[in-house]
Amino acid sequence: MIFAPHPPGSLATLGMTVFVAVSLLAGACSKKNNITANINAANRVAVRPVRLYYESEQLMLVAETRNIALPESPAAAIPVVARELMKGPATPVGARLFPPDTLVRGAYLLPGGTVIVDLGGATLSQGWGAGSHHELMAASSLVQTLAVNFADARRVRFIINGAPAETLAGHVSLSRSLSPMPQFVDPRFR
Amino acid sequence: MKRLFSLGAVVVLALASIVLAQTSGQATLRTPAGDKPFTYVQQSGQTYVSASEVTAALGGTIAPDSNGYRITINNVVAAFGPDTRYGVVRDDLIEMPVPPIAIEGTPYVPWQFFQGLLVKTSSMDVAWDANAHVLLVRPLAQNVISVQPSVANVEGISKVVLTLSAAAEYTILKEQLAYVVRFKSPIQPPFAEQTVEDPSISKLSFAGNDLRIQLTAPDVVADAYKLENPPRIVLDFRKAAAPIPGQLPAMPGLKQQELPGIRTIVIDPGHGGKDVGASGADGLLEKDVTLAIARKLAASLAAKTGARIVLTRDEDAVVSLDQRTALANQYKADLFLSVHLNSSVGKVAKGSETYFLSVEASDELAKKAAETENASAAAAPVADPSASDLKLILWDLAQQTYLDESSRFAQAIQEEMNAATGVANRGVKQAPFKVLVGATMPAALVEVGFISNPDEEKKLTSDQYQTLLVDALTRAVQRYKTDYETRIGIVQPAPAAPAAPAPATATAPATRTVP
Repeated sequence: MIFAPHPPGSLATLGMTVFVAVSLLAGACSKKNNITANINAANRVAVRPVRLYYESEQLMLVAETRNIALPESPAAAIPVVARELMKGPATPVGARLFPPDTLVRGAYLLPGGTVIVDLGGATLSQGWGAGSHHELMAASSLVQTLAVNFADARRVRFIINGAPAETLAGHVSLSRSLSPMPQFVDPRFR
Repeated sequence: MKRLFSLGAVVVLALASIVLAQTSGQATLRTPAGDKPFTYVQQSGQTYVSASEVTAALGGTIAPDSNGYRITINNVVAAFGPDTRYGVVRDDLIEMPVPPIAIEGTPYVPWQFFQGLLVKTSSMDVAWDANAHVLLVRPLAQNVISVQPSVANVEGISKVVLTLSAAAEYTILKEQLAYVVRFKSPIQPPFAEQTVEDPSISKLSFAGNDLRIQLTAPDVVADAYKLENPPRIVLDFRKAAAPIPGQLPAMPGLKQQELPGIRTIVIDPGHGGKDVGASGADGLLEKDVTLAIARKLAASLAAKTGARIVLTRDEDAVVSLDQRTALANQYKADLFLSVHLNSSVGKVAKGSETYFLSVEASDELAKKAAETENASAAAAPVADPSASDLKLILWDLAQQTYLDESSRFAQAIQEEMNAATGVANRGVKQAPFKVLVGATMPAALVEVGFISNPDEEKKLTSDQYQTLLVDALTRAVQRYKTDYETRIGIVQPAPAAPAAPAPATATAPATRTVP
């Protein structure tokens, strides 16, 4: 970016400085605040075990338990757990289902139990070539992970890059929320 | 003097920035029932309204919880939370330009939240008049209808699908080198003009309430029809002398359709064009194998069933999932089969599996249909609630019938695939697959093998193995056709024939022994 030079001490510079300063002050003084009811709960962090779902060689979802630092508030903890899932398994229990470059841009728990998960990353953005089974299991792994770890999370609505999307990879409809699909989970890990 | 003037300008700008940062005041909610005041806030170019006051003015209630707020209006529950610009109502998203905010503990939402809520759950729309500070709630029918066109070439027919935000009245006018769709309501086009690379259509342009579809030649003719859920207008363009797939004189072949039984079968080769689907380690692409199998299957079924066979694509082209189902509905198909190759993260997965639509997805479809019917009924001058209830019941019954029949069809496919390939029985499953949603006929999606398995990838390239799969699918269609036509009484059961299999359910997958 190229900035045009200004004469030193010019009024224009002074005016712009004052304008920016007053704007910042006005912004800081505005009464906007976060709508989250319990800020303290959102900020308190504790290490606790979470179950992350991956695919076993038997083509079923199996869980890996991992200890991670989580905010106390479920709304704040959900995106942390979703991002942890995307890191892939740390043990040979199963295989990662989402493309390695998948980003969790955000995950938002709404009253009533719907979690809106906003995914991104090059593969999902440019067209993921996966079969029905792979896509179905990937979606299920995230839904199952959130539902098992958070009692309030009952269903997941996927969006991609901040906008509603038709499918992840051409099969599973994202025009409605997905609930846990226990038929795809190894009975030992339901 | 000049310096003083400049200083004054700076002060004015600074004050303006404070005003721009946040202004608030009283506004009016104007509904057909009258006016009610509420508080609004303008901040960073967005207009927020008091969620509590507007909800109360609309006769609803609002309740906080640890994740946000729940709003109930006319027994419809919606929710919004912090940080996200998406709220939900039932299972639909409500899109807002920015997330809600709280001011001194009171929730404020962008006014578009109430627009989304009312548009999705009633026949009303909401508009914000920034000058008069009025939030106007008015009947949807008077509103602008958004029109989203898409163009695809399917089997030599150029298909223009206009997806509408609401049902609309229109007329179609023929000009020498264009067709004009003239809407009776104001429309909101997504663009002014767009060129199209298509054998029959060269350009789409909007002007006023008109959409002009420019033709490449004067002998291009069009058929038009409407679809619902969502409301769509479909125009099929073709050269006047070009034969119609299935060699029938008119689309979609009503005379054939009046006959009971399986008369028209739509085969859907999965993926296509830039959507290659899954790929194998040796570079085999799902889209190529599905097309090869679908072509062979079409020829086999045409020869052995006598039914009219339609392919959703007969070339390497992108066809949207909605268009595939719309094509089957347009042809009033009696059976829909989508052909795919599977993939897994591991290389050992093998075998075939067959899906039909999950109940939840079907319920969602029924709900959307009911909403559409209810909205139409509410918008009518004299609404008859019992009529819309009856339509909902009929729709539910129809959907349940399709699911039962889809289950039988999927069962037949899976059994024949198991018998033919001798690989692991992965069974019949239910899933919310987009290409099956909206099909108004028994529909199934078959995964004929795992392209991610090197052994199966190699087999899938073989003409002989593809023929084996096609023969199995042909037998499955023949079995289902005979079974169905026997049950409806147009085919006499053969004396020595085994009993027809019971319909599968999600908990009772195919059980035939794999030889």
